[in-house]
Amino acid sequence: MSESVIINTNNLNLWYSEKHALQSVSIKVPKNKVTALIGPSGCGKSTLLRCFNRLNDLIDSVRITGEITLDNENIHAPSTDVVTLRKKVGMVFQKPNPFPKSIWENVAYGPQVHGVRDKAELDRIVEQSLRHAAIWDEVKDRLHDSALGLSGGQQQRLCIARTLAVNPEVILMDEPCSALDPIATAKIENLIEMLKKDYTVIIVTHSMQQAARVSDYTGFMYLGKLIECGKTVQIFEHPKEELTENYITGRFG
Amino acid sequence: MVSSNSTEPGSGASPRTAQISLLKEQAIKTVFFSTAFLAVIVVSFILLFLLRDGYPIFGAVGLIPFLFGMTWAPTAAEPLYGIFPLIVGTLLVTLGAMVFAVPLSIGCAIYISELASPGVKKVLKPAVELLAGIPSVVYGFFGLIVLTNFIRISFDIPTGETWLAASLLLGVMALPTIISVSEDAISSVPHEYKEGSLAIGATRWQTISRVLVPAALSGIAAAVILGIGRVVGETMAVLMVAGNAAIIPDPIWNILSPLRTLTATLGIEMGEVSIGSEHYSALFGIAIVLLVITLVINLSAVAILRHLKEGRTSVRKPLIPVAMKESIVRICKAAGLVLVLLFLLIAAPWWLTAAIVFAGIIWYYVKDRVSERHIQTIAFGLVGLAALIVLAILVIILQDIVINGLPAISWEFLTQPPKDLGRAGGIFPAIVGTLYLVLGAIAIALPLGVGAAIYLVEYTREGKITRLIRTGVDLLNGTPSIVFGLFGFAFIVLYLNVGVSLIAGQITLALMVLPTVIRTTEESLKNIPQSLREGSLALGATQWQTISRVVIPPAVPGIVTGAILSIGRAAGETAPIMFTAVVFSSRFLPSSLTEPVMALPYHLFILATNVPGSSTNKYGTALVLLLLVIGFYAVAIVIRTHFQNKARG
Repeated sequence: MSESVIINTNNLNLWYSEKHALQSVSIKVPKNKVTALIGPSGCGKSTLLRCFNRLNDLIDSVRITGEITLDNENIHAPSTDVVTLRKKVGMVFQKPNPFPKSIWENVAYGPQVHGVRDKAELDRIVEQSLRHAAIWDEVKDRLHDSALGLSGGQQQRLCIARTLAVNPEVILMDEPCSALDPIATAKIENLIEMLKKDYTVIIVTHSMQQAARVSDYTGFMYLGKLIECGKTVQIFEHPKEELTENYITGRFG
Repeated sequence: MVSSNSTEPGSGASPRTAQISLLKEQAIKTVFFSTAFLAVIVVSFILLFLLRDGYPIFGAVGLIPFLFGMTWAPTAAEPLYGIFPLIVGTLLVTLGAMVFAVPLSIGCAIYISELASPGVKKVLKPAVELLAGIPSVVYGFFGLIVLTNFIRISFDIPTGETWLAASLLLGVMALPTIISVSEDAISSVPHEYKEGSLAIGATRWQTISRVLVPAALSGIAAAVILGIGRVVGETMAVLMVAGNAAIIPDPIWNILSPLRTLTATLGIEMGEVSIGSEHYSALFGIAIVLLVITLVINLSAVAILRHLKEGRTSVRKPLIPVAMKESIVRICKAAGLVLVLLFLLIAAPWWLTAAIVFAGIIWYYVKDRVSERHIQTIAFGLVGLAALIVLAILVIILQDIVINGLPAISWEFLTQPPKDLGRAGGIFPAIVGTLYLVLGAIAIALPLGVGAAIYLVEYTREGKITRLIRTGVDLLNGTPSIVFGLFGFAFIVLYLNVGVSLIAGQITLALMVLPTVIRTTEESLKNIPQSLREGSLALGATQWQTISRVVIPPAVPGIVTGAILSIGRAAGETAPIMFTAVVFSSRFLPSSLTEPVMALPYHLFILATNVPGSSTNKYGTALVLLLLVIGFYAVAIVIRTHFQNKARG
């Protein structure tokens, strides 16, 4: 790949107690592109995604070997602050998970915890983030209503706005559309297209069509291994590995 | 023709047998319904008898003078029945207990649910349960011997029996309730909130303080309200340490003043009042006031918790609209600030005011320079400290009673009747009496409670009648134990003319533990998957067959656990039996149900408050009572974990 690399893993292994969930994964994620991770259920794509912001730290039984770098810095190094890491690497979850607070509070939460106190500044960030996430027009008149009153698709875009508000470099998306209807899905996909100007997006998806539609690069995973990774066009039209071809043509999965 | 008693498959189709089995089902359902309805009947009887015996005082004195009269002097030459000082006493003790218990409990709950490693959790959770298991008379005994002395010496005052002592002791007693309910609330905040917050780069403490705790706030509020209910209804412990002068502290914030609560008044005076007198009626008037206060408290907690449960299963509807909530929060903050300022200006000693103002100024200048990481370190330190304090309290109480109690334990102590007013001899009749009381109580409460739970879970849908029954159970659950004592005295001892007797105590205790039995049985029945019932019914089994053969057997461990917990609770109670069943000293075991008995908690109470110079035997009695109650709890916990592990396979 010619582009500059933002995240790089080298021989990454991960175990859940006894289960070897990621096996020698080495992947380079290019900057300001959309990279999709595809593969059958349980292949480790979500696990890999959660390595990038060290959210697997929450699970006691997880053990990791190998190296992950963000901007050439090892994210497991003792000098790395996990809080700073997560500020740089935002995440959007499978099920929309707005906090039980107002829309405004949801978006302002990130900047607030990172020390922004000025109300006008917060207002500006909230508006900008909501505009960026293409949801401003729908919520601008009810910023102080509970976020739980929004529809599923709106909640997911709110969660994206919440992530944008801390101005990350990378946005991880873990099947962000799996709980949404087709119209809401289309809105999120358009949004991803717009986001890549400013951010690097890594998206885990079940749907190969979605990967083909939104991503520049695609990695195919199977049983904990990264089988193949490359330009999306190439992966879908001329896969190098037979396994990839079988999966893409629907012979299994 | 097929004979009606044939057991051939298919014979049930004959119209006659079908009719009989239908009748049988109806009869069974009716029996269960009556057990469930009993809760409602008991509640109405309690109200009825309290009103019957309490009403005359309102006629004689008038409601307003009774509630707001400033002097309680029932035995004066010209008796005065004003309970305002008692109401104020109850409020002040509760307030003091909460100031101490709420921060400690919430800190401990946060520690257990978010910070503790699995190993530490394994120590802390049973420790909190143990704290809940200590009988209130043992708390009172510890308070009387250790805490009041400590206060007397540290503040250099003539007696340590004060508001401060009562609030500290009751605060400790409220800890387990508040900790366990708020821990539950924090733990059940959806995991996604936590992940969402951490993924944004919030620190763990920011996640806890800004997402988890706010999301669990209603549950925590319910926990605090339940804790308040526990404190307001407590009798024996507060009676033993509060000094019991029916005065309003002067000045009102003087925490070293003695005071007297509503419950303590009942506990002290009920035993010496002449039945049917104005004084007697005034005591029942107090019981009514007490009942109303505790019912309001407990029902509001129940309402909050129920709303939470329903909110989880259906679409979340906030209890109050967000905008309104914000303004409420703002008003509360402002009001709190004004109160604190007033307190600092008027009441607090100058050095405290200076210290707080100084700390505030320092905080104002430092807060923007302190990194989130440091704040987190400080916060985690404080939260861990709260957990440590809770653990230390338990250790201090247990070691005091074990170390001082062990020398008293001997074969003679356990098998001989008391001599010289309990200063010498043993406590055998008291041990046996307590066992008689609790076994009789559970023999009455278990069938009734299990029947009621089966009716509520298996036979009805939610409707008006179940709501009525549930409210009855909730009311019964929130009734202070001393009110059960008064009811038992007025109804069983006097009205039914049974006299002070074993059976009167057993029935009173049975009514008291009935809600616990119903609750735990309901829980374990609800845990049985619906598919099992459907599987059985689909084979053509009747409802009763399904219940008795498919639903109840796997629920038995849960039911047994609940029953043993109830036994433990009943064994430690003093207030319900002290007017209905017990005598202080008796050389013999009761030979029939109509004779009074000795009981451990009451024995300890009298030794501690009325018999000077019985130190060793006091501690011995306290230790035996403690071991007995904890023994019951331990058995229950062992059964529970055994079957939980088994269920997990």
